[in-house]
Amino acid sequence: MTESAEKIKKQFIDKGIEKGVEELTPEKIEKTINKILKSETGARFKAYVETCVHCGLCSEGCHYYLSHDKDPAFSPAGKVKQTIWEIVKTKGKVSPEFIKQACEIAFTECNLCKRCAMYCPFGIDVAYLMLTMRRICHMLGVVPQYICDTAHSHASTMNQMWVKDDEWIDSLIWQEEEAREEIPDLRIPLEKEGADIFYSVIGPEPKFRAQLIYQAAVIMNVAGADWTMPATPGWDNSDMCMFIGENEMMGRLKKSHFEAAMRLKVKRIVMGECGHAFRSVYDMGNRWLGWKMPPIPVIHALEFYHELLTQGKIKVAKKFDKAVTFHDPCNVVRGRGLHEMGREVTRAFTNELIEMHPNREQNLCCCAGGGVINCGPPFKMKRIDGDRIKAEQLFNAKSRGASTIIAPCHNCHGGLEDIVHHYGLGMDIKFLGDIIYECMEKPGASEG
Amino acid sequence: MHDLYAFVSGPLVWVAFIIFFGGSIYRLVSMAILAKKKDGVVFEYFNFKYALRSIFHWIIPFASTNWRLHPWMTIVTFAFHIGLIFTPVFLFAHIILIKESWDISWWAMPDGLADILTLVVIASCVFFFVRRQVLPEVKYLTSTSDYVILVLVALPFITGFWTYHQWPESTFMGILHILSGEVMLAVIPFTKLSHMLFFPITRGYMGSEFGGVRQAKDW
Amino acid sequence: MRKTLGLLFLFSFLAASLVGFSAYCQEDISFVGDSAFTERMRPSVPFLHDDHNEMANIEDCNECHHVWEDGKKLEWDSSEDKECSECHLSQESGDSDMDLIKAYHNMCKECHIGQKAGPVQCSECHIK
Repeated sequence: MTESAEKIKKQFIDKGIEKGVEELTPEKIEKTINKILKSETGARFKAYVETCVHCGLCSEGCHYYLSHDKDPAFSPAGKVKQTIWEIVKTKGKVSPEFIKQACEIAFTECNLCKRCAMYCPFGIDVAYLMLTMRRICHMLGVVPQYICDTAHSHASTMNQMWVKDDEWIDSLIWQEEEAREEIPDLRIPLEKEGADIFYSVIGPEPKFRAQLIYQAAVIMNVAGADWTMPATPGWDNSDMCMFIGENEMMGRLKKSHFEAAMRLKVKRIVMGECGHAFRSVYDMGNRWLGWKMPPIPVIHALEFYHELLTQGKIKVAKKFDKAVTFHDPCNVVRGRGLHEMGREVTRAFTNELIEMHPNREQNLCCCAGGGVINCGPPFKMKRIDGDRIKAEQLFNAKSRGASTIIAPCHNCHGGLEDIVHHYGLGMDIKFLGDIIYECMEKPGASEG
Repeated sequence: MHDLYAFVSGPLVWVAFIIFFGGSIYRLVSMAILAKKKDGVVFEYFNFKYALRSIFHWIIPFASTNWRLHPWMTIVTFAFHIGLIFTPVFLFAHIILIKESWDISWWAMPDGLADILTLVVIASCVFFFVRRQVLPEVKYLTSTSDYVILVLVALPFITGFWTYHQWPESTFMGILHILSGEVMLAVIPFTKLSHMLFFPITRGYMGSEFGGVRQAKDW
Repeated sequence: MRKTLGLLFLFSFLAASLVGFSAYCQEDISFVGDSAFTERMRPSVPFLHDDHNEMANIEDCNECHHVWEDGKKLEWDSSEDKECSECHLSQESGDSDMDLIKAYHNMCKECHIGQKAGPVQCSECHIK
């Protein structure tokens, strides 16, 4: 092993990890690892571990690798080597220090974006392996503190942000009042049984991005949608439990979400512009509950906007006056193929769409998703350093004229904001809903 | 030498083939049973149309983004795998032996082509060896067994070429050729060479997930 | 004699075609040949008829120049007055043991393995 191949490890201080590791003993580690490997992993795990021929072709798939001057320790297989291969090889006989390192790698050096699955000739799912490592860390009680707190919030309140039940209702009524200033007859219909659409959002929206609820309400009202939001838990479609390997809680969250929609007898769930929540509802949580596909049709905001536009329910009043570029979030593009729909809506509402390269399924990750941004301040710089390549990609788009980034995902927003700020890119970041709200016709709006 | 020849060209061939086919079937069946028991998703989401769509993009040179990103690796790895599979199967000398044993035969490639393909395989092994030594991202992942496998794969081709061209000690090389071929065949199911068996499944499954659920491309 | 089975993927070759012949001046024979071999895939096999038989202690011609009838080798008959291909052309008989190349290969190899003497691998007979 060469020196250059060794990752220069910076010591991060995270109380959740440090405290958790203090409690560990080699026996506990061995027992837990073997229990998880035996009871929860099977053919996929075995095939992924045994089929990898150590060719290194996955490397170019990873933004961490590309951002760290191609340090092999950041390549997808390199990260698997430092975590999963080692626990398989040693049959769980690893030290607490190893678990600490493995936890840091699995939680903060992989966004589970699955880009590498498109670079591995065998289609080995490194994100799945990293999630398995996270699951083991979770079962060992070694989880970064911030995301662990978020998961606790989920467990206590069924939402991500410790929002109390009355605060939720209050936020909706507040946004309804605000929006009625603009559109006098606007409603945010709570608990409307039999509505077409159950609109769900992530916890941070009522907490500190309430204007997104406002905008969504305006779009729904203009489009004449028959929609509702629940006044009970189950309104939050987000899921940090999924990202720490707390699968049982992931299942409870999704159940609560689906059941809220079913109780209201809606036809389908429309989700706000969030990527990980979509993954949770459409891909992972439903499976945990035994649903091959979600029990109620679920569509992401991008698809919904596209539907409204193509059905003529929303119309373009003016074009957004700055050139934009479109950031493809992993969970709705590699996760649901919404890249063309997103672009069609973008083109309709803007004068100029300048592509970043690579794009669509090949787009580079924001480095915030997969729960990494939720690991909080201790790892902020790690995220930013780990996505220098994104800054280069964005700068390239900017050099060709793009000044606004459309990022239809909350995590992407957070990640890109940090990158834009740190690297001094000076670009605006918007949700697609921001642009639609700003540029669409609003027939019922009051003057001025 | 005669007993040795009779042994490696007789019973050992059977042993090698039984281990290869039996081992391959065992690996695939036991994996399928495990999947049925523990990974219901694999059967639920497996979709032949999307599996094939993905597999085709990965078994055609330059049909995936990553193949285009690594042109040299792509050319070498395809040439290598073509040589590795086609040379032994369509070699005139092998076909004659099979015909005389089992009364079946098929098209044989010209010896000149076999020579070229053999050299391509050997050169590719050298390329892979150098690649493991030189590229940091590959070196980082490489373990001793990866080199052992390279040698196991190269050996039947080196010895075959040697004995065909009747270089010194070609009788010994002939025996070594038979033996190394048998060893390579027998270890396929139980080493990293099993990627031969699992490629269609892992790639196909990822293709199914991407095509059927994610509605996106995976190449 | 035991049949050597299953030589798949092995690089042993058209083993020795040592049934040297042509009924007439056998002392001059230095290569195995048959007029049926028109296009050669491998170099001819050098073979000194008398030296071989002396070394191998072969007295009876029909040790090699056999005649078969009804699945039995005729003890007192021999065929040194014929070319092998006069009988050994599998296309006509449909019996693969009658295949000319196979007849040569088996004749040499099986005996050599049995006697633990003489060449058996491709490269040992088809010398370049």
